[in-house]
Amino acid sequence: MFKRIFCLAAALPVLITLPVLIALPLLSAVPALAQKKASLVVGLDISDGRNYDTARSSDLTPPLTHGAVYETLVTLGTSDLVTIRPALATSWSAIDGGKSWRFTLRPGVKFWDGTPLTAEDVKFSLDRLVNLKDQPATYAANMGAVTIVDPMTVDIAVKNPAEPLLIDLSAPSFAIYSKKMVLAQGGVAEPGADQADKATTWLNSNSAGTGPYHMVRWERNSGVELRRNPNWWGGTAPFERIVIRHIADGGAQLLSVRKGDIDIAMNLSAEQLDSLGGNADVKIIQGGSTDTLYFMMTSDPALNPILAKREARQAVAAAIDYDGMIKALVGGFSERPPAFLPNGIAGTTQAQTKEFGLREDIAKAKQYLAAAGAPEGFEFELGYPSAAYFSTSYALMTQKMQSDLARVGIKMTLKPMDNVNWRSQFNGGKLQATVAAWNSPSPNPYLWTGASTQRVAGRMRWTPSPELKDLVSAGAAEIDPAKQGAIHEKIARIIVDNANYVTLMQPIYRIAVHKNVSDVQLTANVWKMELSKVRPAN
Amino acid sequence: MASRLVTACIMVVLASFVVFLIANTVPGDPVLAQLGDLAAANPAVVAAFRHRWGLDLPLWERYWIFLEGLTRGDFGESIASHRPVMQDIAEYGPATVELASVAFVLSLALGLPLGILAAVRRDSWIDNLARMISLVGVSAPTFWLAFVMLAVFYGALDWAPGPGRLDVAAFPPERLTGLLLLDTAWLGDWATFRDAAAHLVLPAVVLASSTLGLITRTTRAAMLDALSQDYVRVARAKGLLARTIVTGHALPNAMLPVVTLGGLAYANLLAGAVMTETVFSWPGLGRYTFRSAVAIDFPAIMAITVIVAALFVLVNLLVDMSYALLDPRTVKT
Repeated sequence: MFKRIFCLAAALPVLITLPVLIALPLLSAVPALAQKKASLVVGLDISDGRNYDTARSSDLTPPLTHGAVYETLVTLGTSDLVTIRPALATSWSAIDGGKSWRFTLRPGVKFWDGTPLTAEDVKFSLDRLVNLKDQPATYAANMGAVTIVDPMTVDIAVKNPAEPLLIDLSAPSFAIYSKKMVLAQGGVAEPGADQADKATTWLNSNSAGTGPYHMVRWERNSGVELRRNPNWWGGTAPFERIVIRHIADGGAQLLSVRKGDIDIAMNLSAEQLDSLGGNADVKIIQGGSTDTLYFMMTSDPALNPILAKREARQAVAAAIDYDGMIKALVGGFSERPPAFLPNGIAGTTQAQTKEFGLREDIAKAKQYLAAAGAPEGFEFELGYPSAAYFSTSYALMTQKMQSDLARVGIKMTLKPMDNVNWRSQFNGGKLQATVAAWNSPSPNPYLWTGASTQRVAGRMRWTPSPELKDLVSAGAAEIDPAKQGAIHEKIARIIVDNANYVTLMQPIYRIAVHKNVSDVQLTANVWKMELSKVRPAN
Repeated sequence: MASRLVTACIMVVLASFVVFLIANTVPGDPVLAQLGDLAAANPAVVAAFRHRWGLDLPLWERYWIFLEGLTRGDFGESIASHRPVMQDIAEYGPATVELASVAFVLSLALGLPLGILAAVRRDSWIDNLARMISLVGVSAPTFWLAFVMLAVFYGALDWAPGPGRLDVAAFPPERLTGLLLLDTAWLGDWATFRDAAAHLVLPAVVLASSTLGLITRTTRAAMLDALSQDYVRVARAKGLLARTIVTGHALPNAMLPVVTLGGLAYANLLAGAVMTETVFSWPGLGRYTFRSAVAIDFPAIMAITVIVAALFVLVNLLVDMSYALLDPRTVKT
């Protein structure tokens, strides 16, 4: 009987795969398409992308394309997110006592269709961003009127000089595109554009920018195709063509990059990347990010009376094994900033975390518990989304925290919920504690400090002190990097002391790159990778 | 026939009503699923968003608008993609129809002969093989099978192409129907036709696996039943050839349950290809349905519900009609 079953089991794969065996030799002789050799192929899950119009896009993956096809007035370096650099503007200066910025445009810049860049295009692009009133318009909340001074000079007013604007202008939402091309597709930049503009459909499959490539196609859940811009002011782009191929599954990306069918695999888990060790054809590139995973606790006694005590929150924060979490769950590929500003933003560094940041200290946790009047520990509830961050499920992360806290008698009850329900509970201020991830649309430090002390504080029901609020305002208004850094250090120390907000990770992203290509650089900027710098390997 | 069609329409509307109620009672707000953190904190943006998709209207009014649209074949605009839902479905549907159809043909082409042989050669090695295939086909997790097939035939043996409908660097030709095999054949683009056909093989085999098991099992059982009937004994006693008995007498009588199952299996293949589409990066309706549900995209959820309900009702109607052809005794006299 067993022999018969064994024989059947052995025959089974042959029968199931019979059609494959018959069909594949006939079909796999498909000649490799000629254009592939001149193409860069990037494997990426692009299912989040809803549109590619920069004035409407707020999703995670479209900025990779935007970074290659559009340019902004100013930009940031691959790893330097503080120094503002020239791009389409060669110089800029504050005028009217800081109420406006004046930009001088780069001469000789042409859009991919050959028309020259002028101040008209800048005004059209930025006006359309504001008047479309879509999500990216909220990033431009501090941008005032755009005024043409002459064909190569433009002024941009600032609504509140106490908040920064210049760094926001480096984000893809502030891309400059051709007025002529977008008008021809029904684009409208004036007030009322939110109703009248018809250009998004075209901009979803085409681009109207000055970047090294231009977009010629977007097939939803299939891929994005870029072509070399023959009129790029920066020279000749390395590839004739770039394909960003939608491959949702990390396993499929792994197989494809191993075989060289794709040149870059963007969505591999830590285990999948580790499996590439010793593979001579594929190397792993890593780069920092400004993304953060954070853990928050309420101060509202109505939600949890013990968590309302600072010492109780400090006990929780001191009982977490931060290094163990990073090492065990993400293979050590993560930094940890001291508070909500990521390392690399406005003077924040890993050294600060070591100096005054939160760290595991069981003895201290017990002291805090005693000071909170709960020497034996206490209970609280943590709600989290049934999702994954950085290829690691929130369930795993919170289970690790749960076991850490149990060492000092703190019982953290885990409450998983679907993502939309979690977001509703979180935004509604109903959670005692939670974990969340944040990905900023630009490296403007005020986006973190303002958001954390206003929106996030409101959602978790903790009230920032007047001193903290003043420091946040002062940090936003300060232009001098050293002084701004000092202010943010003070903010970080207060956040650490309050222990409402605990940053758990700032991921170091890794991607797999086939030996076919070189000069692949990840960046912590919104566009994630310097696509336009990648070139064929020699 | 007319009363059946009326009943079918009522069934579809009832299904849409139930799903509408469920979708509106689950905790969670589609606004928060769609808007970013900054925008969700802006009351003006949130209010404009709710107004745009009618989320600020009473439930009954929203359902009434949906029914009105349904009469015109207009399901409104997707909250997630910001496009007419019918445009989304027209874009993703053909990929799933093509995959499911090939998988269905594959499962019929293998399952029917295997089931018949298993019944005719009862308790022989082929019968045991058929039972084993049924068991494994029905119980093997699709996700696992998909990845194993990809790893073996693409990763290790290099016999099959990788994920997607075409080569990673290629895009489909001019869209006529969205069915790549048809479109490329019509355009005479045979290189892309072969590319598309090669990319279909692995996902179709994976998707066919469970249906193959069901069809094999059902065919075998129905044939065993038919072969034990008196009319088969009479046919044998008359000295008819075994082949004639099987194909001319037993098989037509055994087809009723197989046709019933086959119809439902095809509808299931069309509606349930999420896992296969995920692993093979297949831009089809399965992934679209999953994302719509996760994002509480009401217009898309309602459209898919109506389409899937209508599909099942239609398939049942066709199956019922086929009974008359297969077995004249089922026709009322």
